[in-house]
Amino acid sequence: MMEPPFAASGEDDFVALLRRRGHVAALGQVGPIGPMGGNVPPQTQATTILAFKFAGGVLVAGDRRATSGNTVVFDRADKVLEIDLHSIMAIAGVPATAWEMARVLEHSFQFFRRTQLQEMSVDGKVRALSKLLRDNFGFVMQGVGVVVPIFATYDASVEPGGRLYFYDAMGANFEVTEYAATGSGSPAVRGILHYENSWGKKPLAKLSEDEAVIVALRALDTAAEADTATGGVDRNARIFPVIKVVSKTGIATLPDKQIAALFKKGVA
Amino acid sequence: MTEEPYRWVEAIANRRDYVETQLATGSPIVALGCREGILFVTLGRSRQKVFEIYDRIAMGAIGHPGDIERLRMTAIELASTEGFTRSAADVSLRRLAYYSLSPVLKAAFEQVFGAPFLARMLFAEIADRPEDDLFLRIEYDGAIALSGGAFGEVREHFGVLSGTRASAEVMETFLRERHDSTATLARGLALAVDAWTVGHLALGDDAAGEFPAKESLAAERQKQLRERGVEAALLERSGNIAIRYRPLTEAELKHARAS
Repeated sequence: MMEPPFAASGEDDFVALLRRRGHVAALGQVGPIGPMGGNVPPQTQATTILAFKFAGGVLVAGDRRATSGNTVVFDRADKVLEIDLHSIMAIAGVPATAWEMARVLEHSFQFFRRTQLQEMSVDGKVRALSKLLRDNFGFVMQGVGVVVPIFATYDASVEPGGRLYFYDAMGANFEVTEYAATGSGSPAVRGILHYENSWGKKPLAKLSEDEAVIVALRALDTAAEADTATGGVDRNARIFPVIKVVSKTGIATLPDKQIAALFKKGVA
Repeated sequence: MTEEPYRWVEAIANRRDYVETQLATGSPIVALGCREGILFVTLGRSRQKVFEIYDRIAMGAIGHPGDIERLRMTAIELASTEGFTRSAADVSLRRLAYYSLSPVLKAAFEQVFGAPFLARMLFAEIADRPEDDLFLRIEYDGAIALSGGAFGEVREHFGVLSGTRASAEVMETFLRERHDSTATLARGLALAVDAWTVGHLALGDDAAGEFPAKESLAAERQKQLRERGVEAALLERSGNIAIRYRPLTEAELKHARAS
């Protein structure tokens, strides 16, 4: 029996392809699983990411600080990552793992679209991230590489199409109707968003873009007040959070100028 | 039997005849540069023949659907893993064709006990400048034809694919005389449909090499447009996003029908 000189795998799973070719570690098989030394302190997911639905779609915002223990290592980190034309993954957790996941995800969606000649469904995309997280759980149990993301996308087949999910480190996904927050500063943010949504001037879903940005900036600044790992708004260096909006037309990254003006108007 | 060299040569020749016959009815595909980028055009009844391979690379193919699919998947897999492990900028059509696809096609073609690929492919890659665009045709035996002639000559800014050599040559001659890569998308589309019609006529025509008269070309084009759908995709030169490939919209395709 002659082996064919080569055969396309015919598989639509890009992660499986990468594994077969040895481009990524066989995730999920990362040696002995179990806390090293018996007691690994819980890793802080040192950052603050928030997302909520507003009148114009889904707003996703993240501060810019990257920390290692008590040390600030970078003040312009971008934790709100575009995966495709309509999808954003915002990350709290270990950057190396998170960025790699984002990269795998980005290529997986395109690979699926190109090979299958159709866009991956929203559910398929949500599940793809879930699988990456679950595959990574071996590392998490060893005390490295925890990632807790938020995923926002737009489903053109329903109205309104904004969809928002948060995950736990094991890969469970939860679809939220109003807002989600993750990272060390998230308790404060969750409080603010709940308050705004219930007793604010308008529920979050009714906010205009400008109003939504102001709420996001206030929430991040509040998180930074108590959480050293959250950068909030750096007034001296004029470093503003990354804010992106997912809507029917795609993803818009708000320019710093616009954020600065709204910051001056509604926060400072 | 194939221990004897001349029998092997004979087997290869037979196999070439067989593959050529299988491909001979393949409907032409035209790729040409226009102001907006590189346009892929073909007319067909059902099957999709133009595909996105990677951010800047598109492919058109004729042949057996199963073989086309295998080659298409292979090209996408290679480009995607390259783009993932290095960067999208490191994915090159030249490498994909010469290093990956050509040897595989050649091997399958020359192993006379296995089945050859019944497919002929036209690739194009869009660069930042038109001078750096690449058009490239890969045959079932792994042979590669770059658009344009010898080194030093100006590279032609188009590529064609058809069922027979005669048909492809007449399309090339047709385009050589008329193609202008600074023309608009609408004009490029109209020219591509004309070139397709010329190629289509040459498929059944023994007296290939002569173009049909202007009137009969127009009549034939209208007839074909009534019977078939236009499939067209554009690799855009300038784009804010990395993915340059997009199928033309219905509105854009109307130009082809109106002309």
